[in-house]
Amino acid sequence: MISPGTDEPGKGAPTRRRLLAGAGAAGAGVVAAGLAGYFARPDGPDSPLGAESAGRDVTVPFYGRHQAGIATPAQDRLAFGTLNAVPGATRADLRDLLRAWTTAAARMTAGQPVGEDNRPYAPPVDTGEAVGSPVSRLTITLGYGPSLFDHRFGLADRKPSALAQLPPLPNENLDPDYTGGDLCVQACSDDPLVAFHAVRNLARIGMGVVEHHWMELGFGRTSTTTASQQTPRNLLGFKDGTRNIKAEQTRLMNDYVWVGPEADQPWLQRGSYLVARKIRIFVENWDRDYLQDQEHVIGRAKVSGAPLTGGTEFTVPDFAAQGSDGQPVIPADAHIRLASFEHNHGIRILRRGYSFTDGIDPQAGTLLGGLFFIAFMKDPAQFIRLQQSLAADALNEYIHHTGSAVFACPPGLRPGQYWGNTLFT
Amino acid sequence: MQTSGTSARPTATGAARSAPASRPRTRRSRWAPVSAAAAVAAGLALAASGCASSHGPAVSASGADKTTVTIQLTPQGCAPKPARVPAGEVDFVVANKDADAVSEAELRTADLSKILGEQENLTPGLSGGFSLTIQPGSYKINCPGAAQQHWDFTVRGKATGPSWPSNPQLAAAVHSYASYVDRSTAGLISHTQEFCQAIDAGNLSRAQILYPRARVYYERIEPVAEIWGSLDTDIDGRWENPVTVPSQFIGFHKIEQLLWADSTLAGAPSLCAGLVKNEQQLLTLVRSAQYNPLEMSSGATDLINEAATSKITGEEERYSNTDFPVLAANVDGAMEVVALLRPYLQHKDPGLVTQIKTRDAAITALLARYQASPGYDDTGYVEYSAVLDPQRRQLSAAVNALAESLSQLSVQVSSG
Repeated sequence: MISPGTDEPGKGAPTRRRLLAGAGAAGAGVVAAGLAGYFARPDGPDSPLGAESAGRDVTVPFYGRHQAGIATPAQDRLAFGTLNAVPGATRADLRDLLRAWTTAAARMTAGQPVGEDNRPYAPPVDTGEAVGSPVSRLTITLGYGPSLFDHRFGLADRKPSALAQLPPLPNENLDPDYTGGDLCVQACSDDPLVAFHAVRNLARIGMGVVEHHWMELGFGRTSTTTASQQTPRNLLGFKDGTRNIKAEQTRLMNDYVWVGPEADQPWLQRGSYLVARKIRIFVENWDRDYLQDQEHVIGRAKVSGAPLTGGTEFTVPDFAAQGSDGQPVIPADAHIRLASFEHNHGIRILRRGYSFTDGIDPQAGTLLGGLFFIAFMKDPAQFIRLQQSLAADALNEYIHHTGSAVFACPPGLRPGQYWGNTLFT
Repeated sequence: MQTSGTSARPTATGAARSAPASRPRTRRSRWAPVSAAAAVAAGLALAASGCASSHGPAVSASGADKTTVTIQLTPQGCAPKPARVPAGEVDFVVANKDADAVSEAELRTADLSKILGEQENLTPGLSGGFSLTIQPGSYKINCPGAAQQHWDFTVRGKATGPSWPSNPQLAAAVHSYASYVDRSTAGLISHTQEFCQAIDAGNLSRAQILYPRARVYYERIEPVAEIWGSLDTDIDGRWENPVTVPSQFIGFHKIEQLLWADSTLAGAPSLCAGLVKNEQQLLTLVRSAQYNPLEMSSGATDLINEAATSKITGEEERYSNTDFPVLAANVDGAMEVVALLRPYLQHKDPGLVTQIKTRDAAITALLARYQASPGYDDTGYVEYSAVLDPQRRQLSAAVNALAESLSQLSVQVSSG
């Protein structure tokens, strides 16, 4: 999504021309001037409205130093699919599939259909539902699961040592139907149909080589990934992502999000790890909790988002502050305390989650929904550490992790390169 | 009425056979029920890009409405009205009131190089015309001697098909497929009769063994049988899909319900006799039916779609759990089409042939895991309800992969 060098301080901000050149290579149409603004000034946004003010017919360049959909200002909607290779799929099948996916993703993120449909007796190349819908900042991000590096495709020696199934973690009861996957595709757009269309078409292209393992649709972003975005709320009704890493914080991005030269697998440099957690929120129980307790569980005021130690949303929480009773103002088991970098040796992650619902629990009649947590990080150990810290989280009474997956997202591509190009050489 | 003497189109002898609408249909069939003569006629017309015929009581092969285009010959020209028509059969009515210098109208290709139809020798006071089936495209109406000799004429819409009869490989495939359908239908009848005999003899367990053995013949050719929608429903309709009236639940699956869910033969003999009667009617119909490569190839996809949606779920044989043999029969029926089209496909798209072979082999290998001897109800397979969801998922992926490949056949057989 960003032209080479844009995340490195001192290397210079991208010019509009460079962004447009990147878009042109993707066959793209429009790149709003406002989008360049996100990256033009590492110290802050040009506009307080940012993404919200951007038009619908805006493309995010597919090619760049990193994959789009990570540092890209979080779009409003998500379609997330995991896929498993079918028995008998070969290394060549996988390589060909990743090439076909690259071509299709470059087209779709440029607002074009997967292919031109002008043969009356051929099934349409593109499934068609997004025709006429503005591309709405569609990004498509690919990830490789740990299982992809088993014996099947001769990739065992390419497996990053950090890419492994997550260990058992507190407050989880994982459903195998929502856990793991050989591959993932994360499609984000401000238009739900456009995001869904992307995953549907990639899965269709993959038929015979991969099949869907599971899929989730997210209907409201729960994180900001740039300072120019308003902080959204999750289904708890609280602002989420206030202290998230922002794309403009290039040092933090390099320290905590992008895989760097320390990687044991050079192909993953400039990539990132994606951790997905399907977190059910027992909203009925939460909604019955009284306001002050809700605020104590989170550690923030519900409406303003300010920490309980005062100020505004962006005031730094004072975790040391004590009340007249000698107790910490932000309780010891408050979510924001346990999740904070101050509490976790400075560890941070880039959260990029969405609210989701799968409808109603047929047995209980309660909402099957919550937070589809997605986070990007330099090493999954960051998430593991944070989640272990959350063992004592007061919020655990109201949430449950029911799905889980980890993926290594390769770096961005230059025009002419394909996903997998560094994996299969 | 005068016509050009060239290439009169054979008159079709059979009209489109439309199914009575009183019964629900399982699904839309992409196959057109045409009599042999009508199909041949359509084929010839296509082969010649439209051949003039006598302006007579020709019956459209598809049963679609004809379009009439009026051409008035005048000293100025021969403007067709309308100048844009949908693809299909078109009647040109040509009249000359008082144009001395103009006496004919021709339909030509846009580059004027070929005459597709014409009406000559129309002196003032005479009228005539010609009919033909026209593919979408741009054409010219030509009237020598007029002030403006060439007039634009456009045919819009979808092409009606390729000129396959002129391709010996495709023609042979279609011919062989017709006899495959005939043989399968005959096999269906003889095996259903055997099934009925066991029922009549009061032998429930024998009837249970013979049930899937008759079913497989139907499941190999189901898209053809679906042409006659109500007949398909009467033979193969499932409760609530599409049958919702008990009195119309009379086919295989009603008997299946009696034999397995109700463990009874009561009422089965008369149902079985009715089933055979319907199958015999089907045989009469398929023997006079003609197919084309496009129908064959889309039918192959339909068969595998059928397997993917109703066999993998266990819905089709919900009482008997004999989904394995019928699933295999769907694949057999589809692969028969591929085998017949293979000489043609082999040079047209060898990669597709290889992919289909690989994906068919993957299904065969998966099915082999569930083979047993003699198997559940002597089917050669285990009981389908014993197949767990993750295993069904594998089958589904394999079946869908094959269907995806087969869906690329139609464009191959329709692009000449």
